[in-house]
Amino acid sequence: MTPPALPRCGLALAALLSLAACAPATPPAAPTGAAAIARTPDGKPDLNGIWQALVPANWDIRPHEARPPPRAMLGAFQAEPPNPGIVEGGEIPYLPAALEQQKQHYAKRFELDPERKCFMPGVPRATYLPQPFQIFQSAEHVMIAYQFANAVREIHMTDPGPAPTSFWMGWSVGRWEGDTLVVEVTNQKPETWLDRAGNFHSEALRVEERYTVMSPNHLLYEATLEDPKVFSRPWKISFPLYRRLETNAELLEFKCVPFAEEILYGHLRKGYVGERAEEAP
Amino acid sequence: MKSLAISFVSCCLVLLGASAAAQAPSGAFDASYSPPRLPSGKPDLQGLWSNALVTPLERPADLADKEFLTEDEAREYQAKRVAAVNRDARPDDAAADILLAYNDFWWDSGTSAVRTLRTSLIVDPPNGRIPELTEAAKRRVAATPPPSADGPETQGLSTRCIYYATAGPPMLPGSYNNNYQLVQTDDYVLIVNEMVHETRIVPLDGRPFPAAEIRQWRGSSRGHWEGDTLVIETRNRRADTPFRGSSENMQLIERFTRVADDVLLYEFTVNDPDAFTQPWTAQITSQRVEDELMYEYACHEGNKSMSGILGGARAAERKAAEAAK
Repeated sequence: MTPPALPRCGLALAALLSLAACAPATPPAAPTGAAAIARTPDGKPDLNGIWQALVPANWDIRPHEARPPPRAMLGAFQAEPPNPGIVEGGEIPYLPAALEQQKQHYAKRFELDPERKCFMPGVPRATYLPQPFQIFQSAEHVMIAYQFANAVREIHMTDPGPAPTSFWMGWSVGRWEGDTLVVEVTNQKPETWLDRAGNFHSEALRVEERYTVMSPNHLLYEATLEDPKVFSRPWKISFPLYRRLETNAELLEFKCVPFAEEILYGHLRKGYVGERAEEAP
Repeated sequence: MKSLAISFVSCCLVLLGASAAAQAPSGAFDASYSPPRLPSGKPDLQGLWSNALVTPLERPADLADKEFLTEDEAREYQAKRVAAVNRDARPDDAAADILLAYNDFWWDSGTSAVRTLRTSLIVDPPNGRIPELTEAAKRRVAATPPPSADGPETQGLSTRCIYYATAGPPMLPGSYNNNYQLVQTDDYVLIVNEMVHETRIVPLDGRPFPAAEIRQWRGSSRGHWEGDTLVIETRNRRADTPFRGSSENMQLIERFTRVADDVLLYEFTVNDPDAFTQPWTAQITSQRVEDELMYEYACHEGNKSMSGILGGARAAERKAAEAAK
């Protein structure tokens, strides 16, 4: 089997780190031929597996250099790694008012980010959180389970009709376009963010996700985001997903509610004397 | 001695498996039923199932000598239970009315008895009751402080949206969010509970359990097929998610058998010599849910109870302090 084509990225080990930089400027890597793709009994590409993004986009999906941690005492523990960026063209096309709001988010990002509160992350952020997720693909069902906050969503492969309400993980309707799984995600909660830098969306967000097999152990993930209340035009992110190959790889519990209770409810503790950390949501 | 003890446990397990199979209701289901199958040849258990039943886990005292209901008795029992839990029947007293909280719209307790028409979900021991706790377990339970409003970590796990006993494992009928969705691939079974969007990923590839140091709120599950029955074993639970007095060493065996197009027979056996004086087994008939979708239950994201409970307790303390001045 020939290795998957990775245009302009070379094969040097160091190039692995620059993959993300290549991805936005690179069209979807063509699969290495129909025979190379593992398929389910019904002939669809087999996306089953435990996957994870390596690109540190959860800090900020835009290109950025290394940044200090939220609190100086954390030192290098929580300093932000640099990121070549996953946004095509590098810039998010905010409407003017939305850009102002994003800047306000950024200024208070460590207090306001819903990830810190252990809220379900929404789409596409769930895909590039630094934790694995697992795709389950049977003849009738596609489900994606995420380790973070135990979030899960069904990709409805037959039209389920209009969403009855909004959901933290949205309302996902999928179809196959050739060998690409295309998922339309709507009806998300406006409370979710796109990263720790306060990039955001409204309830009008529409995400078109595309999952394409790049190699036996890589998927190409692309997402186009459209939200006329926040962005002046649709825009796109893309990056590879890596199969977790450890023989003991599995999603373990990351029930983060207990980790978030102090910031949500600590000020309501009996005998609380500390500084009020923040308002409960 | 240690090896003797281990072989004793495995010997009991084998017997248990045999006895659970022997207890499968022969009359309640069509023995010639053959389930739909996946391309792999395994039974297709996929879809949405509901555990909403009126039958209690333990046999009520007034039915102590009665293992089964007749069809007529079951209908009568169902009507009685449905009326008893109807939250639209509001008390006249305002305080009692407030304590009752939500009206019936918010509840989904189920309206039918278990298909086997047993008077309890527990089928073993034969009295339909949870076996007596060991002395150590009694001490453990007695030493567990009741929930308090002192801080978030002293509230109950379900109030905190961390763990609901009805999502389990083992799963049990509850007063709402009784649905679960089952998805099968060649190597995995995925069980998503409507309750707190609990997601259980069960490898079927024979891999070992995670290291004993890895303790999880819901334990860790491994599955395999025994004929047409999906068997899931769960271990590695945390010490602070006890189930009816169980210890962190609880070994849970669940068995899923599709016995009709619309019934998934769900049996579980609790094997925990550190907690119970004997193993015990329950049997639930999960009902097929057609033409409906399961929605996301965002318990934590929408949790106003915690702020209400803790904030209310602090307000009461301030009021008491002022009154004492």
